[in-house]
Amino acid sequence: MKNSLSTFATKINPTHLKFIFMLVMLAMLVLGAGAPSDCGGIGR
Amino acid sequence: MILLSAIVAGLLVGMLVSWRTKTTWQPPAFKYGWLVVAGFLPQFLAFFLPATRSTFPDWLASVSLVGSQVILLVFCLLNRNLPGIFLINIGLGLNLIVILANGGFMPLPIETAAYLVPQEALAKIESGSRIATGSKDILLPTSEIILPWLSDRFFMPFSKFVYSFGDVMIAIGAFWLLVASALSAKPFKEENHA
Repeated sequence: MKNSLSTFATKINPTHLKFIFMLVMLAMLVLGAGAPSDCGGIGR
Repeated sequence: MILLSAIVAGLLVGMLVSWRTKTTWQPPAFKYGWLVVAGFLPQFLAFFLPATRSTFPDWLASVSLVGSQVILLVFCLLNRNLPGIFLINIGLGLNLIVILANGGFMPLPIETAAYLVPQEALAKIESGSRIATGSKDILLPTSEIILPWLSDRFFMPFSKFVYSFGDVMIAIGAFWLLVASALSAKPFKEENHA
């Protein structure tokens, strides 16, 4: 378990981290910019 | 749903492009990223976080929505050189216009809602009220909506999600942002193979 975690940690590089940050920012941007709605939740 | 689906689709196509062209996919470099956090935070509290959204009165939720979208619009303008941001900008602008024109919330035509939910569920909501706690939408008859073609009037078969023309533009822009950054990626460096 410890070995697989350390293998995983060595595979993460700054590009991967930048990519994850970019995806989180993009998700926040589109969720904030958009206004779709779920009609299934009407009245709740 | 349409918005996060566009990101997932953009990711999958971008990964496929990157794999096919044997390139390293570089994430698009956003400038002023803190504006996204600052812009999203009021909406997160007013519409997404269950613990806080029920405490927001309608007027404060409306102010949070408009203020947040203005900040996000500024972010998009500052990053307009990135592919796809142009479309996100247009979509955000159209959503903001229709929200401002209709009192600070996105209008949902009663006629559209009637296709998707039973009449008795609709009857519980007054015209002009928010459709649910934490929703950005208010229910209105089409005749009372200003700029009705920009409202949440589109839906897909077998889904209860409604979306606006602006949402479609935002989804296409997010998809294109991811795919275009994969298309312009650099080839693998030798050390990556070591």
